[in-house]
Amino acid sequence: MGAVKQNEATYNPAGATGVPDAIFQVQHLSLAYPGRRGQPPATILGDVSVDVERGGALTLVGPSGSGKSSLLRCLNRLEEPTAGTVRFDGRPITELDPRELRRRAALVQQTAVLFEGTVRDNLLVRSPGVAFDFSELRLRDMLAEVGLEPSMVDRDAATLSGGEKQRVTIARALLRDPQALLLDEPTSALDPPNAALVVETVSRLRQSRRLSIVAVTHSPELVHRLGGALLYLVRGHAEAYERLDDGAHRVTDPRLKAFLAGDLPLSPSA
Amino acid sequence: MSGVLDLSWWQLGFALLLVGVVVVISLRQALGLERDLAIGALRTIVQLYLVGLILAAVFSAARWYWVLLILAVMAAIATHAAVSRLAKPIPGVYWIAATALTISTAATLAYVIGIVVQPRPWWEPQYVIPIAGMILGNSMTSAALAGDRLQADLFTRRDEVETRLALGFSGREAVQPLVRAALRAAMIPTVNGMMTVGVVQLPGMMTGQILAGASPLTAIRYQIVVVFMLAVATALGSLLFVRLAVGRYLTPAHQLRRYLL
Repeated sequence: MGAVKQNEATYNPAGATGVPDAIFQVQHLSLAYPGRRGQPPATILGDVSVDVERGGALTLVGPSGSGKSSLLRCLNRLEEPTAGTVRFDGRPITELDPRELRRRAALVQQTAVLFEGTVRDNLLVRSPGVAFDFSELRLRDMLAEVGLEPSMVDRDAATLSGGEKQRVTIARALLRDPQALLLDEPTSALDPPNAALVVETVSRLRQSRRLSIVAVTHSPELVHRLGGALLYLVRGHAEAYERLDDGAHRVTDPRLKAFLAGDLPLSPSA
Repeated sequence: MSGVLDLSWWQLGFALLLVGVVVVISLRQALGLERDLAIGALRTIVQLYLVGLILAAVFSAARWYWVLLILAVMAAIATHAAVSRLAKPIPGVYWIAATALTISTAATLAYVIGIVVQPRPWWEPQYVIPIAGMILGNSMTSAALAGDRLQADLFTRRDEVETRLALGFSGREAVQPLVRAALRAAMIPTVNGMMTVGVVQLPGMMTGQILAGASPLTAIRYQIVVVFMLAVATALGSLLFVRLAVGRYLTPAHQLRRYLL
């Protein structure tokens, strides 16, 4: 790994951090799972530092098992890092109530999980301890915002297609007025037309709501549409960081260039 | 009605011939069970004989502390049996199972002995030991059933749990539907059993009392107590075990410890 870094890596922690107005600041983040039965601990993430600009986008790419999803899950504290800090809106997330953090940094998972009941039931799902209510108009507007028919609010959630389900989960996250949207491979379980709709929805939301977006993806299309910055992870380590704001043609890392051109899936040997 | 007929050694020998029939079936059908049958038959004889000797000693010594010691040993064995049925280890599970089984058994036993049956003295081994054994056995089975279901559901439904967490649910709230499913899985056999008790087959305790010369009307009264007692033992055992065990999968920061699944 060290050799790879010296030869090709374009990751410079100083370049990936120090964004002027950051919504997330990730510093020297490491994550390891305790070993089972005398096995050594399994390293998931090793010393990752990266910032996400407020209203900006960061996409996490890399081969499977590279720690992309784990890094994403550290941002809303579904995972507890072994070392390092994550700041959200200027404060270490360990100082926030995790439930409040997760409302403000909403996660959309790879496989949409909808509960029993109608779309309305799913949009309104909430902790028994929380009192909030949304007007019918708000629910319908939200469905329209993610490109669904407002009348769908009365449909049984079990009858929706994969793409519709995914957009309902995005609407569910948006209802709670998050500052950031965390997307874990939002399109990988979808067929191309549905994936394109979700990509379109997410990139439109970024502009219309000034949402900060962090996305794990294998889709060059989503990366192009979101813009922002790109972090390449291999085996839990950051290998490259590139900004796409000036255009994808400025990307220098050969592996990321190939990925953005849609040429190859990222793999450790690529 | 007189007392029970004593069985002589040669009568037991005739009973052993029944195992011989099973061995012949196993040989003829190539089941490959002969070795296990022989070991099982031997263990049945040795284990029950030892238990008989110990119980006879405790009955004749008639001291409350011997009764408590027997109960403690039974609880330790039940704890081990419940834990060993789990598919994957849970950190601290011995402590959890011991707590769940001890509290559920002690509470149920105290009520049944102290308020329902009221033997004199309260520790009368003839009542306390068999009743405690039945309670413990049911608590153990229900704790293991509930724990097994909880573990399986935490794995297969982990995305659902984390979706709730991501929507701002507390850890306990996020796993509540799984806890409910585990408790139902543990209690349904007992509830179903109440529907057919005595109709399909006579319960073991009632059979034993009738064989020992008790009137069937006395025996059914005890059996009614036993059915109700086992229902509460099942509920308490699984409830305590699941409540304590699910806590091991959650953190104070409302996280699911995925690496344990």
